[in-house]
Amino acid sequence: MKRILAQAVDWYVRLHESTVSEATRNEWRTWLTADPQHAEAWKRIEQLQQRLGQAPAVAATTLEQARQQRRAALKMFAMLLGVGVVGWQGYEVSPWRADYTTRVGQRRHLTLADGSRLVLDTDTRVDVHFDERQRLIVLRQGEILVETAKDARPLSVHSAQGTVRALGTRFVVRQGDGVTRVTVEAHAVEVRPRLATAHSVRAEAGQTLSFAADSVGPLLPAATQASAWTRGMLVVIDWRLQDVLAELSRYRHGYLGCAPEVADLRLSGTFLLDDSEAVLANLEDSLPVQVRRLTRYWVRVEGRAT
Amino acid sequence: MSGRHPIEHLYVEHHGWLRGWLRQRLNNSADAADLAQDTFIRVLLARTSGTLQEPRRYLATIARGLVIDMYRRRSLEQAYLEALKLRPEIHAPSAEDRALIFDSLLAIDRMLDGLGTRTRQIFLAVQLDGLSYEKTAERVGVSVSTVRKHLANALMHCLLLDEA
Repeated sequence: MKRILAQAVDWYVRLHESTVSEATRNEWRTWLTADPQHAEAWKRIEQLQQRLGQAPAVAATTLEQARQQRRAALKMFAMLLGVGVVGWQGYEVSPWRADYTTRVGQRRHLTLADGSRLVLDTDTRVDVHFDERQRLIVLRQGEILVETAKDARPLSVHSAQGTVRALGTRFVVRQGDGVTRVTVEAHAVEVRPRLATAHSVRAEAGQTLSFAADSVGPLLPAATQASAWTRGMLVVIDWRLQDVLAELSRYRHGYLGCAPEVADLRLSGTFLLDDSEAVLANLEDSLPVQVRRLTRYWVRVEGRAT
Repeated sequence: MSGRHPIEHLYVEHHGWLRGWLRQRLNNSADAADLAQDTFIRVLLARTSGTLQEPRRYLATIARGLVIDMYRRRSLEQAYLEALKLRPEIHAPSAEDRALIFDSLLAIDRMLDGLGTRTRQIFLAVQLDGLSYEKTAERVGVSVSTVRKHLANALMHCLLLDEA
């Protein structure tokens, strides 16, 4: 792949000249279509360009200035912290490759090129690939709501476990741990696990199902408000306390959990995702529990001491 | 009550030490408190299980990365606001947009780590300032073919980072 990437880079540099002949363009097109790997490599270049395109107008100046300023400080910090200059690199993996991302606690509403609506829930990453033949959304992490616009091209969502094909519809897909969950809100979708493509299953409005790479779970009636998060709410009916906290913790940093003795307490209600502190305060009123905070980022719900 | 969560133990035992360690190096107790807190968040998010052999060394490693990140971000924020001042025709972005802009700058800055000064300069001129190869060559003081070569190297560097 590295060799092909180098070819793609070479093409990019040639096409980026002030003047480019039609012959060169044609040659490039021939290269591009000669091998799917060529197209894949070219796509990576385009994605890089897209990301650079998000930088502000003064980005180049800013980056140069910041670097110069840092260079002076760098030696001192390197000494203080006991790291080499290399220490500046690689401390955090940034969510680079995804076209659209949200951070923890963030939600994002997008309208795609075809008019389809895409909503990203907390801590989510997706890539969007639209071409002449298909509309493809790759869900790398997190949860999305898709509301498809009318278009001749099929629309599907790829997760790590397989494909969800939209049949003119609104639906929610969550990438879980080794499993993908789909909830259909309008019309229908067709689910195809990656390793069992012959076993496609159709889910209709009001149904939910989970699938692994090689199998599909049963069709179940959907919770009434599976997409309430798009409006910043979590609606639960008779959930275990532990499950409610697990869901809320997706929207905040740090640890939020409960002691085993209260895990199975049941509750129902509508909670604001953006204000989980208020939710926690409320818990103490409605259940025999107390919220124990070690720090803002370490919260455990425990049985109330009597 | 069941036994303590391992993180709780780590926090109780080492939080004070880490704060002191940071304060000594940063000479700023507010930053030290924030970064100590952030370090424990990282540990929580990493969901490390079991007991750590050398907890303080582990915490210090994470804290170092955060200090570096803090300076990186601050230097970018400051440079950005200064660059904006010089360009009054650009509307100052809202606080929300600004956060996205800083994220984008931070990510690009990280991506360019490891590039030589000249390569970086050429990459920024072509890719972010949108200069032609000829103009870039003039600005940097090299030949056009050198510009092409450095640009190709920089692009390759960025693409290969993606793969890691």
